[in-house]
Amino acid sequence: MSPIQLALLATFLPLGTAFSLIVLPGVRRAGKLPGYISVVTALVALVSALQLFAYGLEVHDIARVTTQWLPHSVLGASSAAPSTIEIGVLLDGLSVSMLVVVCLVAFCVQVFSLGYMADEPPADFGRYFTWQSLFLFAMNTLVIAPNLLQLFLGWELVGLVSYLLIGYYWKKPSAARAALKAFWITKLADMGLVAGLIVLFVNTGSFNWTGTVAVAGPVTLLLFIAVMGKSAQFPLHVWLPDAMEGPTPVSALLHAATMVAAGVFLVARAHPLFEQAPNTQNFMAYVGGFTALFASIVAVVQNDIKKVLAYSTCSQLGYMVCALGAGSQVAGFFHLTTHAFFKAMLFLAAGGLIHAVHSNDIHHMGGLFRKMKLTSGAFIIGALALAGVPGFSGFFSKDLILEEVWERGLYLPFAALLIAAFLTAFYMGRVVFIALFGKPSEHAEHAHESGFAMTFPLVVLAIPALCAGYFGAELSGMYGEATHFHLSPVGMTASALGLCGIGLSYFMFGAPQGGAALRTVFAPLGRLAASGIVDKSFLFGYRTVLRGFAGGIGWFDRYIIDGLMNAIGYVTLEVGARLRPLQTGKVQDYVYVMVVATIALGTFAAFLR
Amino acid sequence: MGNFAHAHLLSIIVAAPAVAALVVLLLPESERLAIRMAALFGALCSLAGSIEVLRTYDTAQAGLQRMERYALVPSMGIDLSLAVDGWGVSLLLLTGIIITAGVFASFTLEERPKEFFALLLVLVAGVFGVFVAQDIFVFFLFYEVAVLPMYLLIGVWGSHGKVEAHGPFAFIWKRFDVGGREYAAMKLTLMLLVGSAAILVVIIAMYFAAGGTSFDLTHLANTKFPRELQLWAFPLLWLGFGSLAGVFPFHTWSPDGHAAAPTAVSMLHAGVLMKLGAFGVIRIGMMLLPEGARYWAPWVGGIAVINVLYGALSAMSQKDLKYIIAYSSVSHMGVVMLGAATLTVDGWNGAIYQMFAHGMMTGLFFALVGLIYGRAHTRLIPRMGGFAKDMPWVAGFFVLAGLSSLGLPGLAGFVAEFLVFMGAWQSAHSWWAIPGIVGAWVTAVYVLNASRTIFFGTGPSDEFHELRDAHGTEWVALWGLSLCLMLFGSYPRLILDFIHIATNEYLPKVALVADQLAVLAR
Repeated sequence: MSPIQLALLATFLPLGTAFSLIVLPGVRRAGKLPGYISVVTALVALVSALQLFAYGLEVHDIARVTTQWLPHSVLGASSAAPSTIEIGVLLDGLSVSMLVVVCLVAFCVQVFSLGYMADEPPADFGRYFTWQSLFLFAMNTLVIAPNLLQLFLGWELVGLVSYLLIGYYWKKPSAARAALKAFWITKLADMGLVAGLIVLFVNTGSFNWTGTVAVAGPVTLLLFIAVMGKSAQFPLHVWLPDAMEGPTPVSALLHAATMVAAGVFLVARAHPLFEQAPNTQNFMAYVGGFTALFASIVAVVQNDIKKVLAYSTCSQLGYMVCALGAGSQVAGFFHLTTHAFFKAMLFLAAGGLIHAVHSNDIHHMGGLFRKMKLTSGAFIIGALALAGVPGFSGFFSKDLILEEVWERGLYLPFAALLIAAFLTAFYMGRVVFIALFGKPSEHAEHAHESGFAMTFPLVVLAIPALCAGYFGAELSGMYGEATHFHLSPVGMTASALGLCGIGLSYFMFGAPQGGAALRTVFAPLGRLAASGIVDKSFLFGYRTVLRGFAGGIGWFDRYIIDGLMNAIGYVTLEVGARLRPLQTGKVQDYVYVMVVATIALGTFAAFLR
Repeated sequence: MGNFAHAHLLSIIVAAPAVAALVVLLLPESERLAIRMAALFGALCSLAGSIEVLRTYDTAQAGLQRMERYALVPSMGIDLSLAVDGWGVSLLLLTGIIITAGVFASFTLEERPKEFFALLLVLVAGVFGVFVAQDIFVFFLFYEVAVLPMYLLIGVWGSHGKVEAHGPFAFIWKRFDVGGREYAAMKLTLMLLVGSAAILVVIIAMYFAAGGTSFDLTHLANTKFPRELQLWAFPLLWLGFGSLAGVFPFHTWSPDGHAAAPTAVSMLHAGVLMKLGAFGVIRIGMMLLPEGARYWAPWVGGIAVINVLYGALSAMSQKDLKYIIAYSSVSHMGVVMLGAATLTVDGWNGAIYQMFAHGMMTGLFFALVGLIYGRAHTRLIPRMGGFAKDMPWVAGFFVLAGLSSLGLPGLAGFVAEFLVFMGAWQSAHSWWAIPGIVGAWVTAVYVLNASRTIFFGTGPSDEFHELRDAHGTEWVALWGLSLCLMLFGSYPRLILDFIHIATNEYLPKVALVADQLAVLAR
């Protein structure tokens, strides 16, 4: 098959699967069947993606095909340039590597879900895999987009699937609310993307990211607002921790590895546009740096293992955004790739742990390492990669980011990233030492290693999580300029800080004695970070400001505007009622009026003359 | 027969529902199935005819096609002339879809089905007529035919709502049963008739200003009316047609009217009747009075912006499910008027496409609301909760309709809104795009919040023991409309190509478009 056909297969086969599962309730409720169908679909998509990747290693720009989506002739008053509104397929290094990431993680997550969701009722099980397939379609649409318009189409669709999957346990009010919150906040940010698209189109006549754009500054800033929502940058990150209400495999796929990275992908894609807007880039670097630091501080004090990972996702996305802000497409995207693998693995391993103890609390997990060697091992590999320990994939990509940010002279974000690197190692160490090696808790008594469906994906993901870093040069060659890895003072500092973080966490949480004094040092910091000021102000904005304002408008409409309309009717009726006595129906009354009127008019006419 | 049908297709589309209405009236009251089948047959004939019109419209030739002309009052130049352009093609299809879905949705109506279906079909014959009439007198005639049956349909088959007495005008409650069905029917009819009066004045004025020989639309469009006539006549037309399109502040009939109306009537009213108003503003107001349109465009657009935000915020504060959807219609019709006021290609394409998309979406909404009301016997959202347990498909369809209304790509609403916002940005008043975009977000807030409260979370409580999913003919209506939303959302050119042809032809006569501006610049 030609590359285009492969890409279309990887995109539309999942759509077909999802659609069939929707319209054929019999299949959807047929026990494990929908799960198997969905997994096979994902496997086909993965094989296609790998084949495309093989193409991509040889030819970087594989193919680009577009077709007209909306009719358009001449653009309005501002320019007479011919304009087109198209959708299609673009296959180059960036999109095929992202395709592999998406399909691989999606496949692993779906296999894992076969085990993790096995106890769900058949109808819900089928619904879960329907949305999983739909997600693959939406995400691949986004990835192969040849222009920003199609990217936006996919962007909104993944947002929809995220809404559906966060709200998977819809009988739980908190899950239903979390789904709404995620949708509203990302949609709020997406207003920037819509506006950015419109401004771009009206000024250039296309949605392409290439070419010189006079309005690159405003456009990129508008686009970046949407990125902040989707990729959970401060202060629009508040939806991501709540999104953990969804099933854990969903968190692994959407809210760690792929969907939240869509924002980073957008910036990497539209790199030529962002390069023309240095101010936006600087802003991005600061936002990213701050988010990386802020989220890692919050992660330190979380007890819910998924919340720790959620904040850590926020923080790592901050790294990527900061790298892109420093103008390095390669560093940002490389970290996206490695992060997708190890973070998905971390989430899936965490899912295994949660499944075993039926609790999200790390203190309920204590000492699981002995009982679940494989899952724990995967979690530890992921944690080491996340902490940036030399040799693991996260080390290479994080190091590249730090170097790029340093070279660009962004010292403040650089410092934030360094501290965040230390904190990252520290909070991951904390989770590992408490949950895997800590005091055994009674919840963990009956824990045992998960089945094949839930361990196999961990093994698959462990491979890239361990080795992806060594192929940095090849990968970066595919989607931009080549980079060579070298050990620099910057990288060594970061690694040293990371190791210090792990050591400190061992001293505080691992060693049976000591550490009490240090814990008191961290407590106030944790309270400050966890108080949720941002969350509260969003809530205030929604409940009090928006709802209050809407209530006022509603009242005004009902009782003033509509009241006026009613009043007009009322006055008409009243006037009619007053005038009614004039129409008595008696002939003598009418004759009387007629005579009087004739005399009056005659007199009046006489005077006039 | 085949040739005859082909040559008179437009007449057949318009006449089929009217004939069906007659047949329904002739059938005995007890033959319920026959009555329903006759109504369905009439609707299906029109739908099939509309699809045939779409299929055979010659896009290369463009312009008015399938012209049929029969002299009506030769001495005054009134002809029953019908023809279809690119806009007409799409709006005929919309009407066909909605009436078919409406008949399916109220197939099992028990109360006086004979009179109900007869009135419904007469109404829809009027709607079809408006979209193809090429004579302004006939246009107006059809317009009134479409509007008036509403009084009876709401007054007889409607449901009661209650609005509490508050505010400075509370004394009125002593006199009116505010929220009741007779009140709603009366208010709707009176407000729309005031509008009609304004329209009639302008029609007569235009007729005489154009020589007093012909009511033909093309003839009037080619007449250059004096500037001062255009300046006073356009606002009158805007008010007249706009009151049916729900423009602020003449929209208040809409929440009460839609809330009181029975399911199929709400579907038809919000789905196509409100479009007649917007269509009138563009097709009569803007195209016959271009100078007036250009002069008043900032006002039309500014008020449309108010509609979008004001309608959305009002919807957010409602507790009655039908009121939410009714206010959301006010908000979305604001998008149509906004697109029209931009006087740009994208804006007009978007306006017509929004009529099409919103028609199907709101039809789906009202079908669902009627279905929920029929099972839950309440429309008060705070009392509901967890309904998805007993009616999962209804929940799914409701969310789908909501997603289309908030402009999710892949569904028809997105294409329309996006085009309108693009048009707004290109217009002389770029800022219009911003409240438009914000309005789409507010829609996301209230629609999804309503879905959450009704369908998700714990529940349903014991008082709702009759809840069950859609059944029988309801499936046809729900699936049909949903699939249309997806189809026209993912492949918009199916309809948009036709709309684009008409827009390209008409817009240069109204607005100065790029080519002309380029010429002026030289």
